[in-house]
Amino acid sequence: MSMLDVKVASVEQVTPLIKHFTLIKEDGSDFPAFSGGSHIVVSLNIGGRVHRNPYSLMGAPSEPGAYHISVRKQEQSRGGSVFMHEVVDVGTTLQITYPVNLFSLAKLGRKHILIAGGIGITPFMSQIADLKRMGASYELHYAFRSPEHGAFADQLSAECGHQFHAYTDSNGTRIDLVALLSTQPLGTHVYVCGPSTMVAATLDTARHLGWPENHIHSEQFLAPPVGAPFTIELARSKIKVQVPAEMSMLEAIEAAGVDADFLCRGGACGRCELQVLESEGELLHHDHFLTDAEKASCKKIMPCVSRARCDRLVLDI
Amino acid sequence: MEVGYKIRSQPEYKGLSWQTRATAHLILAQGSGAKAVINMLHQQHSDQPITLLYSHKLGEEINCDLELKALLHLDQHVFDDEKMMFKALKLLLPFQYMGTRVYVAGSQEFIWAVADIVKAFGIDDADVIKELSGTTARSVYCVHCKAITYRATTNVTECIGCQRMLFVRDHFSRNLGAYMGLMVDAEDPGELPEIEEIYP
Repeated sequence: MSMLDVKVASVEQVTPLIKHFTLIKEDGSDFPAFSGGSHIVVSLNIGGRVHRNPYSLMGAPSEPGAYHISVRKQEQSRGGSVFMHEVVDVGTTLQITYPVNLFSLAKLGRKHILIAGGIGITPFMSQIADLKRMGASYELHYAFRSPEHGAFADQLSAECGHQFHAYTDSNGTRIDLVALLSTQPLGTHVYVCGPSTMVAATLDTARHLGWPENHIHSEQFLAPPVGAPFTIELARSKIKVQVPAEMSMLEAIEAAGVDADFLCRGGACGRCELQVLESEGELLHHDHFLTDAEKASCKKIMPCVSRARCDRLVLDI
Repeated sequence: MEVGYKIRSQPEYKGLSWQTRATAHLILAQGSGAKAVINMLHQQHSDQPITLLYSHKLGEEINCDLELKALLHLDQHVFDDEKMMFKALKLLLPFQYMGTRVYVAGSQEFIWAVADIVKAFGIDDADVIKELSGTTARSVYCVHCKAITYRATTNVTECIGCQRMLFVRDHFSRNLGAYMGLMVDAEDPGELPEIEEIYP
């Protein structure tokens, strides 16, 4: 996969847990254009092991000189975000993928309701730039723990005016999803990005109220979960690969020198899908891509986030 | 028509059935389309409010006003023609919320006229529940002169715009609400295939 060589131009501590990184191309040229809601995958070499984490692009798509990402420090994770916070600094060089959009705006929508929780605000930062350019009708509903955790809240409040609505747990204000989603005009689309409980509540509420599926949009990148180690057989490469507890199947396949397809690395896009040729035991599907029926069929797996508890697992790669 | 050959643009009319997840139901019916509505109302009564706009169809004897009235005494509006009904629909749509499901039953022409109106309000035709009734006659768009010939019932039909004889394809345009028609005797003028009624 072709990558872009970038350099960190500035780092800003936005909240106690969130840092904003401004990236520029190493050769000083412009970045490829992107649309609101796009993300990139950042490669991080941590002690010889390559981590690849997806982050939403935040800046205005009309400013190609820099890409902006924000990273929330996840203490309970496998180290990618901690590395971004503690090691990456101004001048650090990184490799990123070209932008991909799995969370684009429905351009024909008559109104757009954006619902963000915490760090889930990031894809909306670029979407809002697009919505303003299009002159579209929108509302942003942004929930965060307490005022000091409301990343970019002041900036968004200034940019969006009365379309901006903030909710803080510490003040006891919460988004009333039923009230919000039961009074939207025909042709409205809803977009949600945030913690899994918020995403699930929004999807459930919209569906329950009769919103058609194609008016409901969500994005949630999963971090690969830690689990018991297991072994996989790669049929076409004719090798066996150990998947350690803290590595995803995809990372283990890559570490073994086998070229595997990927886009989001967070269980959302379906690009890394592998065919399961044989399995003895249980596949632990964690992705949002496969349908329940597909998961139950044990014929496909998303190696970016899913794992297995198998004596034998043969993949077609 | 080739066996096992299907054009993806060809619309499917799956028939009216209640969408159980909804906050309101808006039903548009024309002429004999009322029968589909009556069937649906017989299936079960919805818990959510129902609004019905019903238009008579010119030249059609079927009149279901009374039967509809008996089943659905609330919020029912009967119009003498489609134009009046479409006017009322356009006035109604700005006050509908997401969660209102739209149902339409009638001729092809009627279904796609409704689809066109609701599309302007951001509703995709895929989310409109449709039932074709009365006739399978097709609206045919002439790819040569761009005129639309309504109610074609045969495999080959004369274009009302340019009088070319058009082969009626399965290729359907949602934007135009019509099937594509191509001149059938362009290479051998006057040599026409047998003309049969296949869209009764």
